[in-house]
Amino acid sequence: MNILYYPQVKPKKKLIKRIYIAIMLWIVGRAIQAASKVDSDVKDEFAKLNNNFCLKMWIWPNGPSMYVGKTNNGKVKYLGWKDKGYKPTLTMTIKNIEAAMLLFTFRESTAIATARNRLVVDGDLPDACAFVRILNIVEVYLLPKIIAKLAVKRYPKWSQMAPSRKHFGRITIYVRAFTF
Amino acid sequence: MQLPAYYEFCNTVKTIVGHKALEQIPQSLKVINAQRPMIITDKGVEQAGLIKIVQTAMQKSKLKAAAIYDTVPPDSDIKMVNELAKMYTSKKCDSIIAVGGGSVLDTAKGVNIIVSENASDLMQFAGYGNVTRKLKPLVAVPTTAGTGSEVTSVAVIANHEKNIKMIFGSVFLLPDIAIIDSRMTKTLPPTITAFTGMDALTHAIEAYFCLAKNPLSDTTALAAIQIIAQNLVNVVKKPSDTDGRLALALASNLAGMAFANSMVGMIHNIGHAVGGVCGVPHGVCMNILLPYGLEYNMHKASQYIGELLYPLAGDEVYNATKKKERPQKTVAYIRKLIQDLHDATDGKHPRFFKEVVDKTGKQMVPKEKLVDIAKTAMSDPAQFYNPEDLDYNDYMMVLEAAWEGTPLDKKKIKKG
Repeated sequence: MNILYYPQVKPKKKLIKRIYIAIMLWIVGRAIQAASKVDSDVKDEFAKLNNNFCLKMWIWPNGPSMYVGKTNNGKVKYLGWKDKGYKPTLTMTIKNIEAAMLLFTFRESTAIATARNRLVVDGDLPDACAFVRILNIVEVYLLPKIIAKLAVKRYPKWSQMAPSRKHFGRITIYVRAFTF
Repeated sequence: MQLPAYYEFCNTVKTIVGHKALEQIPQSLKVINAQRPMIITDKGVEQAGLIKIVQTAMQKSKLKAAAIYDTVPPDSDIKMVNELAKMYTSKKCDSIIAVGGGSVLDTAKGVNIIVSENASDLMQFAGYGNVTRKLKPLVAVPTTAGTGSEVTSVAVIANHEKNIKMIFGSVFLLPDIAIIDSRMTKTLPPTITAFTGMDALTHAIEAYFCLAKNPLSDTTALAAIQIIAQNLVNVVKKPSDTDGRLALALASNLAGMAFANSMVGMIHNIGHAVGGVCGVPHGVCMNILLPYGLEYNMHKASQYIGELLYPLAGDEVYNATKKKERPQKTVAYIRKLIQDLHDATDGKHPRFFKEVVDKTGKQMVPKEKLVDIAKTAMSDPAQFYNPEDLDYNDYMMVLEAAWEGTPLDKKKIKKG
């Protein structure tokens, strides 16, 4: 083979994985917005954050991304996946699409992903701690127990989250996330 | 041994260990093309005569410090860093020798960022990964056997105007050379030797049982634990034991290497908060909280905690103990070590928070401050690496037990 005409190999874009992650980020973003209205713990955590709080969670180098922020009146909003000139106060960068797949297929918990240095956090660290607590609660609502146990360090017992609160919250969050 | 699916380990520091290791400074600087070092240290180190030892070691090879700054305060400040950077430039220095504890080393790392990047504002490099290229040569000479800062890639520098502490993290912050010389820790009083040793022990133990553990950090952690267990009480009883001093300084270095790569968990998480709210020295907090951190995580990390009995108590005790009893025995051994240090220092080494007093004898951790400590602890990222989760009630439960000096009530520990 003439090496001058050797075909250039372009990296694959892993389109299916990107679409999966984009959908998961959309669901999580919408669910965070819904949970901030439904769950008192999530409400309290957001209340402690500044009104200019804006989170960008994205996969390096080209996305997909998710923006969640607080509005001037303190409401929590999923801001979409496009950068519309937001100024994130907290950026969570997942280092590559494979790391994101491990996280969003729940083969690795947020804690393990952090321990394995798959996430880079830029911004106020107390805000990052609060956001991880929010994410854990949202995952408990969104996922069945058998999967959520893989995603969070400690699945809440009845004494911490009564079944009525969990199931009512789950239904409300799903309805709100997929409707308005 | 656990082999995780993925892990990272980085240590690029050349470590020189020995009773007369400081004599290697001139040759080591020559190898990295440095001839005009600036010495950064604090008053305590200077008054203890340690800088004279460093200068004498250098003069034997006709190497002279181009500048010496000996008044670094206990918590490094951005103003101080800027001032030192100006001094570095005006004296045409080409390298830094940091002689001291964590604060001095962190200050030196901050100065190195400014002079290497030719920057005017240190703030622009705050956070992780914002220092992106090789810095000027930095030689670290630790004078305590505890922090392990000479092998860590982070620096914490205060901004007193904004009342915040800024974290700088980058592999380029690792010093080029760490020199561990027994003469540097020989004059440490027994109480400081005791709690700095317990600080190093906590680094190694948390590195071994927390979530980011890996085979490489395990190796250095286990070696550090064994050396500390064999030497700490002896050195506290006999401070002139230079071999023991050197062993403890090495153990601190090994533990630093371990936790720089595996991070730390709830013991540091709560310890940072106690230090921030009540001003208790870091090593004292580590010493008190260590058995509680092990008890709290027992159900998640019993295998690893049980394995710690081997380097702590030796092979005879380890083999004579049933496997299921080893985790509890490890905790009992740590409690005995704390009691031994308490006895060896005539009761000056505190065993729990209500025993911690300042120079005037005033209690440093009043019980009513535990609420503030628990709230502060919730904002510390070290919790990410802890095997078990913690909420506000969990922090309060641990703090109340550590204040009273009673073991944790196992029934109250929530298991997922």
